[in-house]
Amino acid sequence: MKKILIVDDEQDIVESLKFVLEAAEYTCYTADNGEDGLRLAKELTPDLIILDVMMPKINGYKISRLLKYDSKYKNIPILMVTARSQEEDKLIGEETGADEYITKPFELDEVVKKVEEYLK
Amino acid sequence: MIKILFISENVKYIKKFKEIFSNNHYEYYNLSDISLIDDIISVDTPDVIIIDQNFENIKAVSKNIKLHCENSIIILLISSNSADKEFVKFANAFITSDMSEDLITSTIAVNTRMKNSLEMLSSSNKDLADSLYRLNALYNTSSQFAGTLDKSQLLKIMSEGMDRALSFSLNCTFSLCTENEPVLILDSLYELSDELISALKLRAILNYNSVFEGKKQPFNIEIDKLKVIKHVKNNSNRFTFNLFQYDNMFAPIKLSENVFGFVEIFKDGNFSSDDSACFQTIAQQVALPLKSATLYQEIIETNLKLEKLERLKSEFISIVSHELRTPLTSIKNSLDILFSGRCGEVTESADKFLSMAMRNVQRLSGIINDLLDLSKIEAGKMEFKFAPTNINTVIDYVKTALSEVAKSKGLNLAVCVEDNLPDVNADAQRLEQVLTNLVSNAIKFTPEGKNIKIISKLVSKNDIIINESFREEIKLLQDRYIEVDVIDEGIGIAQEDLCHAFDKFAQIENSLSRKVGGTGLGLPIAKQLLEAHKGAIWCDSELDKGSKFTFIIPA
Repeated sequence: MKKILIVDDEQDIVESLKFVLEAAEYTCYTADNGEDGLRLAKELTPDLIILDVMMPKINGYKISRLLKYDSKYKNIPILMVTARSQEEDKLIGEETGADEYITKPFELDEVVKKVEEYLK
Repeated sequence: MIKILFISENVKYIKKFKEIFSNNHYEYYNLSDISLIDDIISVDTPDVIIIDQNFENIKAVSKNIKLHCENSIIILLISSNSADKEFVKFANAFITSDMSEDLITSTIAVNTRMKNSLEMLSSSNKDLADSLYRLNALYNTSSQFAGTLDKSQLLKIMSEGMDRALSFSLNCTFSLCTENEPVLILDSLYELSDELISALKLRAILNYNSVFEGKKQPFNIEIDKLKVIKHVKNNSNRFTFNLFQYDNMFAPIKLSENVFGFVEIFKDGNFSSDDSACFQTIAQQVALPLKSATLYQEIIETNLKLEKLERLKSEFISIVSHELRTPLTSIKNSLDILFSGRCGEVTESADKFLSMAMRNVQRLSGIINDLLDLSKIEAGKMEFKFAPTNINTVIDYVKTALSEVAKSKGLNLAVCVEDNLPDVNADAQRLEQVLTNLVSNAIKFTPEGKNIKIISKLVSKNDIIINESFREEIKLLQDRYIEVDVIDEGIGIAQEDLCHAFDKFAQIENSLSRKVGGTGLGLPIAKQLLEAHKGAIWCDSELDKGSKFTFIIPA
């Protein structure tokens, strides 16, 4: 079973993503802050990461950059979830290396479809 | 009457001159005692001095004479026809003892006239120099006024200018405009005692009351609390209460009804009428830059407030987009999961209410997106990807996207485009957003079975007819435009409401719009997007007949 890491400080969003992705038979790991997210990404080397932008400790933009610049992890697809705040717009304007951006509120089915595309 | 002093011991000469000058044109004195010469000429300076060249010690005396009688005409009497070379520089004229009476008197007359003319010339030269000096001081002062917007500095320049032009002993400037309270600024030549300052404060308050007599006073001033700023040039000396006997001048510093303060100066000596004119001019001149400085200060303060508001707005938008979107996502995700039946079968009534919840989540997220778009455009932060764009491609895209929706409502969506239209420089995605909004509105407000039409054409500036409600605010600066019309047969807009069609949340008042949905932000966003393309949008409408929304973009 393929491993997906979900990093978001909003527990409810994590729950719903986990629910639909597990239903689609993926193994899900979760983290509710950037620091744990980065640590887990390195420990687990998941097949795909769903990453929120605005998070305590380390934001998603930084995690994405750190992973994408490391040859060990750079091939892990990253789906970045953004709430389109002005600050986030500014961050995303820079090179983050994320493979895909999903704007809140998103369609869960859309997310599952995107995940399936990357993990074919 | 010409006063003549004759210095000689020669009795023959003395007698001769006495005869010549014994009429009422002259006042004649003779001096032969050399020891008296200094006293006499220093007490009563004669107009003409005639000196006998053979007078004993003439050389020693001549220096003193020149020193005391600089303005007298000095004529030398010589016995022969040759004058001592040293005296040539010293004397104004020469006479000889054998000269006739007429020749002697005319020599004196010519020299006296010459002296008078020279005096007049010198006096008018002095007046001219004074005027020039004052003009120069005025000019310097007014050019300095132009250089600053600091009100304290302006009053300082005024005081310095007055000092340069008028050399005052004390300047009392009562300022109402430099601080939050009135201030008495004292520029003094000498030190002022506390008692004298109290008297000056009292005088300033009396002046203040008289300036504002019959008008509303801007400040209630208490003498004990009146702030004083004092600059003393020379504090080894002190002014006494005699100061109040000095000559003084007073002027208000005001521009029409704006009183910035007033100024009073004192001088040990008399002010002339030219001084007064100069003083009034400087006091008047400072008022205009003070007014500018006040306006400038207001602009700065307003700008700071605006900046703060802009920051608050930005923060608010950030909160709206982030803090609302995140919980909305959780609600939507939960609804999605329930709706998908993954948590159990969805009954018919549950489906109805879940759909209702879903619809409103969509609507709320639409509002958030629109708000964010609008605030971005207004803040000039919206980025456009301008590229050559064919408007018919945009129309085609929107028609394809919305024809299903139109069909489901039983509407006929027709397109009538002009072929071979030139490309416009535009962000295709934003034009799609505008057109989608217009066509969606048409679909919303048009009853079943009716028609909606999209038309595109190339028009020249002179053929564009703008509805009179919008004519004033739309300026056509280009020669050619691409025009797009979206025509519906819907409920229409009343003539008096037309001008509000593009206002934010304008439709909120309309109960129908609540029924058909919409954020009330679509049209203001469309307007802003088109303005960013140097285009414009307006509408024509008739109640119950339909509306025509028209937008243009430079071709």
